[in-house]
Amino acid sequence: VASIRFEGRSVQLRSDDTVAAALFRGGVRTFTRSIKHHRPRGLYCLTGDCANCLVNVDGTPAVRSCVTLAEDGMRVRREGGWPSTERDLLAVADRLHPVMPVGFYHKTFIRPRIAWPLAERVIRRATGIGTLPTGRTPGRKPARTAHTDVLVIGAGPAGLAAAGAAAEDGASVLLCDEARIGERLPPGPALERVRALREEVSPNTGITLLERHMAVGVYEGPFVPLVGEREVVHVYPGRVIVATGAVETHPVFAGNDRPGVWLGRGAVRMVAGHGVPIGDRVVVVAGTSEGVDHLRALVDAGANVVAAVIPPGSEPPPRTPLLAADARVASVLGRRGVGSVVLETATGERRIACDALVVSIGTTPRDGLLRMATGLPVVGAGEVVSPGCSLDEAVESGASAAAGSDVAGAAAEAPPRGSAGYVCVCEDVTVHDLETAWREGWRSAEILKRYTTATMGACQGALCARHLASLAERGVSASSRSNGALTTARPPARPVPLEDLAAGVFEVVEKRSALHDRHLAAGGRIDRSGSWMRPYTYGDVSDEYRAVRERVSVMDVGTLGKFLIGGRDAATLVERMFPCNVADLAPMRTRYLLALDEAGYVMDDGLVCALGDGRYYVTSTSGGAEQMDAWLRNWIDRYGLHAHVIDQTAMLGAINVAGPRSRELLERLSDANLGATALPPMGAADVTVAGIRCRALRVGFVGELSFELHHPRGRSAELWDALIGSGGDLGIRPHGLDALDVLRLEKGHVYLGQDTLPDDHPGKLGLSWAVDMTKPDFIGRTSLERMAAFPLERRLAGLTFDSPPQRGAPLLVGDRVVGRITSCASSPALGAPIGLGWIRAVDGAFPTEMRAGTVTATVVATPFYDPKGERQRA
Amino acid sequence: VSLEVPCPNCGQRPYTEFTFGGELRDLRSDDAEADYRRVYLRNNVAGEQTERWFHAFGCRRWLTIRRDTVTNVFHEPGSGIDPVRG
Repeated sequence: VASIRFEGRSVQLRSDDTVAAALFRGGVRTFTRSIKHHRPRGLYCLTGDCANCLVNVDGTPAVRSCVTLAEDGMRVRREGGWPSTERDLLAVADRLHPVMPVGFYHKTFIRPRIAWPLAERVIRRATGIGTLPTGRTPGRKPARTAHTDVLVIGAGPAGLAAAGAAAEDGASVLLCDEARIGERLPPGPALERVRALREEVSPNTGITLLERHMAVGVYEGPFVPLVGEREVVHVYPGRVIVATGAVETHPVFAGNDRPGVWLGRGAVRMVAGHGVPIGDRVVVVAGTSEGVDHLRALVDAGANVVAAVIPPGSEPPPRTPLLAADARVASVLGRRGVGSVVLETATGERRIACDALVVSIGTTPRDGLLRMATGLPVVGAGEVVSPGCSLDEAVESGASAAAGSDVAGAAAEAPPRGSAGYVCVCEDVTVHDLETAWREGWRSAEILKRYTTATMGACQGALCARHLASLAERGVSASSRSNGALTTARPPARPVPLEDLAAGVFEVVEKRSALHDRHLAAGGRIDRSGSWMRPYTYGDVSDEYRAVRERVSVMDVGTLGKFLIGGRDAATLVERMFPCNVADLAPMRTRYLLALDEAGYVMDDGLVCALGDGRYYVTSTSGGAEQMDAWLRNWIDRYGLHAHVIDQTAMLGAINVAGPRSRELLERLSDANLGATALPPMGAADVTVAGIRCRALRVGFVGELSFELHHPRGRSAELWDALIGSGGDLGIRPHGLDALDVLRLEKGHVYLGQDTLPDDHPGKLGLSWAVDMTKPDFIGRTSLERMAAFPLERRLAGLTFDSPPQRGAPLLVGDRVVGRITSCASSPALGAPIGLGWIRAVDGAFPTEMRAGTVTATVVATPFYDPKGERQRA
Repeated sequence: VSLEVPCPNCGQRPYTEFTFGGELRDLRSDDAEADYRRVYLRNNVAGEQTERWFHAFGCRRWLTIRRDTVTNVFHEPGSGIDPVRG
């Protein structure tokens, strides 16, 4: 026999059991503890609307057990309450209710301020609806996109009719429902009607049916994500028909939240559908014809109805003791569950002993999706716009919604007001709380909502939004038919696991260079650097540093952005886009390149190399490659130039060979003349190294003789191996980003993004030399001119320190913050800590000495190392 | 994901494939004052505006298109807008 594990015992299953039905049959009455007062809560709606039945299933918290089919072997437990949900000592909170008024936190934990962290810890432990699973890999649901003319949400009578009519008109239709069609309907005319309509819905009529797909929300577009059991569907419909029906009206009276108080549909589903009696003595209060149907269904299923209230003129089932038609529930009494109900009539009160109370007094639109769709092509059909309408009316309304008319039904009647009891069951907000809040001056629905948190719980106001609106409207309007005070609805309409929201976006970009495996094999510590995975060190940062300064080293710089610019107007494009002079750039010479935006701020930097045939080779930083590509393409487009750009970032690898003996190493592998005359600093040459065609650029970031070898990516590993293999006797070893950080800092080179701010013009960075203001036009030129009229109030400066500082530390003169350290490292060359940082002018002059904590910082000129650049030019 | 951008090369595509390039601005201005406005100030209209989108995860082309910023309705691509001058 199939069974589920429930808190250490086994609970047997019958076919079609939901988790809630199985547990209820197994004797469970308290399913949850309420969030603040720890009151016991039991099954109530059984339609997936309320939050009373949330349990933990297989480690997932807050699962709606009433709409979750039980499967053999499921592990189910309740959450909330201490030591257990069944016996919860924290229920003392319920008695403290009078001293814990609405707005308790705002009023109580104001001072002393230091008490709050402690109070927060206690409160957090005592409240909440479940424990987040930890140490578990979230499920990875795939997401797919669907386009459709019409999306119909809800496959009841109105939804099915709407789908059928829209398909008949030739529209493509997607019909979804969070359940299987008819699954949640009790036997009766509605179910028969739905089954008949179901026959007409099949794929060959142009209708795609997605059962057990829940609409999370209606976003602008419109865009509607559907969460299914195994997939998430992102639907882009032309228009949406919401046919989500109605939920039975939540009655408000003292004790209305007790286990044993049921909404009519829930009671019928449990008794007639699952065959489990809800009590020995049942009282039914019906206010509508649907309620009378429920009463009849309960009697037919064998429930012992000891008293019933039905509307005048309706026909009761035989042998049912009736009470006066005007009787309404005043309160429910009892210790844990229902012990008796007090009914109030014109002639007085009457108390009836019972153990279950079924209330069916009307319907409230389940219109969260509709209310979040203002200004979109979204209409409602059926009960969601005309609660309480007949089956025929629902079908008719579906058809006219399909035809495009906005079916404005009768506005939902405000639910009857109660004088006591829980308005918002999820968040433990009572009539008393709302009245207190009203007296305190919170006099609109939106503000009452935020102050009391009513409607903000797991049911998202399904039960209480109209109660709140009705309360907020008093004094404003005597009308009981207006929905004007309803709060704005927002997605999600139902609780959604975060992993479902993330469906389809779990793929994290992780770019690997062609040399990734070589780095791993060499013991590289590889980590993220932007979207790339790059080696930070191969184990000995200081020897990696020494290899560059004293011997020879290689670094994988294949991550740099690399662009080939060609076409008739290539020179014009480069000249107009960038602030450096390109016109006088001789063939196979490179120049440092800043990319400025129109405001003159530095976006990125790199190099430009004239290839001599009218084409240009441009590099950018690793992180800026995508932006550079878009930037180049933008200006080709905007200027209307005959130029094109090929993004070679992924097709070319690049290795920087650096160090005093780098030329010696390369000469072993190449016949090309790499001498200082043939390939001078900032020169470029197409050469063959180890049999591989390379473009060698004599540029470098590290301040030593160095050659960047750009080559086809497919041959990167071969080139790397050849370089390392031939350099053994020269003491070659690769260096990673950690060594690079020290090497570049000694040269005073900035890391864009780390040392810079978004509004840095070249002057602030000491990079004015890279801007040719004699050029008549380039992007950002007019802005630079404008800014040149103002004194420099902030600049990046080289710093030395008397002891190691903290990166990011503020720089102070006296008590005044005048700057911040953006980079710092201990320099082996200088034998002292060095850094870069922002400094601000004080009274028109830049400070020369500052304090960072206990450290003294002194402004010095950069580069720190080899200021004349002789080593680089060797 | 709530928007679909009509790309003349790729068709209706979710906006997450695009980089937003902002409202279309003039390439140059007549004087310093106009240039200041051109570079730093945005019209930020509530209504129709001409704007740039880069189809980063698609054809890698820029498109110039009119969109109503209130309703997010796009006008068909190629509706006579000169991509160079707007």
